[in-house]
Amino acid sequence: MIRVRLSTFFALATELEGRFGAGVDSPWTDADFEALALAAFAIQFESIEAYRLFCLGRGRTPKTVRSWQDVPPVPATAFKHFDFAVGSGNLSPEMTFRTSGTTRGATVRGRHLVPRASLYRKSLLPPFERHVLGGRVRMPFLSLVPAPAERPDSSLSFMIGAAAEAYATETSWLIDAQGALDIVGWRRAAERSALDHLPVVVLATSLALLHLVESLEADPGPPLPDGSRMMETGGFKGSGREIERGELHARASAATGVPSHRVVGEYGMTELLSQLYEPVLTEGGDAAGEYVSPPWMRVRALDPMTLAGLPDGHEGVLAFFDLANAGSVCHVLTEDVGSVSDGRVRLSGRARGAEPRGCSLAMDELLSAARAAGTDPA
Amino acid sequence: MTTPTQVADVAHRLRESRAALAQRPALDVIEALGAAGQRFLDASDPIRLEALAGLPESSGLSPAMCVTVLDGMAADWTTERLQTLVAAELGGADVLDGFVARGGRQTMALGPALAVQFVAGGVPGVGVTALLRSLVVKGPTLLKPGRGDLLLPTLYARALAAIDPALAESLAVIYWPGGSVEHENAALAHADLVTVYGSDTTVRALRARVAPSTRLVEYHHRVSVGVVGRVALSHDHLDRTAADVAAAVAMYDQRGCVSPQAIFVEEGGSASPVEFADRLARALADLEVRLPTGRLDLHQASELQQARSTAELLTATGGGLVRHGHAAAWTVVMVEGPSASTPPAGRFVRVTPIADVEELTAQLAPLGAHLQTVGVAGLGARVERIAKALGESGASRVVPFGAVAFPPAWWHHDGRGPLLDLVRWVDLER
Repeated sequence: MIRVRLSTFFALATELEGRFGAGVDSPWTDADFEALALAAFAIQFESIEAYRLFCLGRGRTPKTVRSWQDVPPVPATAFKHFDFAVGSGNLSPEMTFRTSGTTRGATVRGRHLVPRASLYRKSLLPPFERHVLGGRVRMPFLSLVPAPAERPDSSLSFMIGAAAEAYATETSWLIDAQGALDIVGWRRAAERSALDHLPVVVLATSLALLHLVESLEADPGPPLPDGSRMMETGGFKGSGREIERGELHARASAATGVPSHRVVGEYGMTELLSQLYEPVLTEGGDAAGEYVSPPWMRVRALDPMTLAGLPDGHEGVLAFFDLANAGSVCHVLTEDVGSVSDGRVRLSGRARGAEPRGCSLAMDELLSAARAAGTDPA
Repeated sequence: MTTPTQVADVAHRLRESRAALAQRPALDVIEALGAAGQRFLDASDPIRLEALAGLPESSGLSPAMCVTVLDGMAADWTTERLQTLVAAELGGADVLDGFVARGGRQTMALGPALAVQFVAGGVPGVGVTALLRSLVVKGPTLLKPGRGDLLLPTLYARALAAIDPALAESLAVIYWPGGSVEHENAALAHADLVTVYGSDTTVRALRARVAPSTRLVEYHHRVSVGVVGRVALSHDHLDRTAADVAAAVAMYDQRGCVSPQAIFVEEGGSASPVEFADRLARALADLEVRLPTGRLDLHQASELQQARSTAELLTATGGGLVRHGHAAAWTVVMVEGPSASTPPAGRFVRVTPIADVEELTAQLAPLGAHLQTVGVAGLGARVERIAKALGESGASRVVPFGAVAFPPAWWHHDGRGPLLDLVRWVDLER
């Protein structure tokens, strides 16, 4: 049984890798997507016990589900409790990525087991090429994301590493696993790039970018040459820092010389192997704030209480069906709030001043603090 | 918005108002304070009507819940209740006016010259209770309420100004966004007493900036729970027990420090913990009709959905139960082992089976000093022994579920004397 399921998975993965490799412009009809999505669901249902029981509880099985929208989405926080991996126990994962664990109840980190890393590699390159590089070009990478060797459990580090392998003429890794910025290395790389008039791509988390900007505001360096661009990702969760994204981009632009319409926002998470990007390089600065998914990923905004689908433009919680997740679970319900119009996502910030639960601290925080002595969520 | 300089001016004026306040008989002050409080209870009083009109929007609670919360809170704001509070804490109001014989000595209780109070915004009414505690001991007070509890103190200040303008000179309610250090410091500079209600983080941040000579009264994070013993699970009692527990959970949409977050249910009764959890869910569903849950914003609803769906996965694999109101924000969860995280809003209660209530103390040990109220049912003769053990492990209040939500005015709030914390004793020896 297991053997049959695994071979089905490998066949699907191989087909998907071929489709991903054809690029973001390759044709994906709704019927194509549907067929592959239902095939992935059937494998995941059969092969992941926790997911199967969850689906049965909702009365959804591969026999009753007619459309990918009806496939039960797994809540992102469940990655703290379960290993959702196809063939668990019979197929050792090639990669294990851990979530940053910065949400409430910070002591428990989630993890995403990836049985087949090539699915991830093949899916991440075409959108990166389109949205971060703006085409098939090679250039130097200045990475404010730790190198994969430094952070083997980071899906973001893996992604930048894979992209660097494919597209970088050379890569400067300018931050270590502890988040210490190599500002001397930055200045050296920026000066050389300015002297050679060689555009670069800067890759940064929001927090690392803020550190860089503050260093450069105190002690400016040469502007990066025309044609340089920047990818910025992630928020400030857990860092105690928070600035408006627009302000960060404006200051980053002033400090590095990369015009703000060439700063590309990336939206991704450990639980989803595909990424969304702001298409500013291909469509211009007006597209800022809209995130585009690759054709093998579909996104909807759902009513947070009933999980009913919402019309275009209505705010709800974001649910993604990502075929790059074929090795784990494809349909993931995130905590993030936003709207979807014509398949493009707009994220909504948290309203300021929302009062949390009175003077009572969440029970789990207290209890998890009490038993924090290194219990593994898995 | 008020500037830090304005805050400093107000603090200065409040401090100056103390001289006049000190001259007034305490009973006279309590009379006026109670008369203003009474206005929140009188059905046709414009102050009450304005409170009920504004509370749903400002607190996020449903209109029906706002009525219940206001009635429950304002019951403690009357002259009679304030007198009872003073009697319970200080033995009578006379000790606030001059030296009296107490315990074989001559002594007098003085309120603060200026109490600056920082109150959380989760439960409307807490701010008024806080300002009353200071004024009752003739201490001028500057109240900085949380955003969700701005309306009632503001209305109270207006009601008091109409009844007793001179007394109202000793009260100011000023809002600024939480954490504004400039505003806080402007107020702190004039305070000789500071009270703070809030998260451990809020309390810690303030503690560092309060002068050593200034008294700091802290109400940090608290968690409350409940315990249901076998007797309350008999077929005669089950529905009643479930209804009482549901009411305790639902009040303030579970935002109160007294609100139980988890219910420990004894095994071996005629109803099992799972059956109890199911009844509790039904009782919460019934309450949704009478006292609906307030609105959740999308982010709160999203976190609730994560908790519900994750609990669904945990119970699908490990047994237990999840019941929820779909569009209505109540949820009952019973899962083994590490549990789904508690969402920030809505009514969300866990049921945990225990073999014997005697084990409760050990289960609650990790909560330590954060444990506050323990609601109880069906403990029979065991209640005193268990209450003692709970007290030793951190609890400050053991109470039937029906009385969980509204502690009496004279309760030992977090195990202390709310007025005793505010006064300074002056002894006269001859």
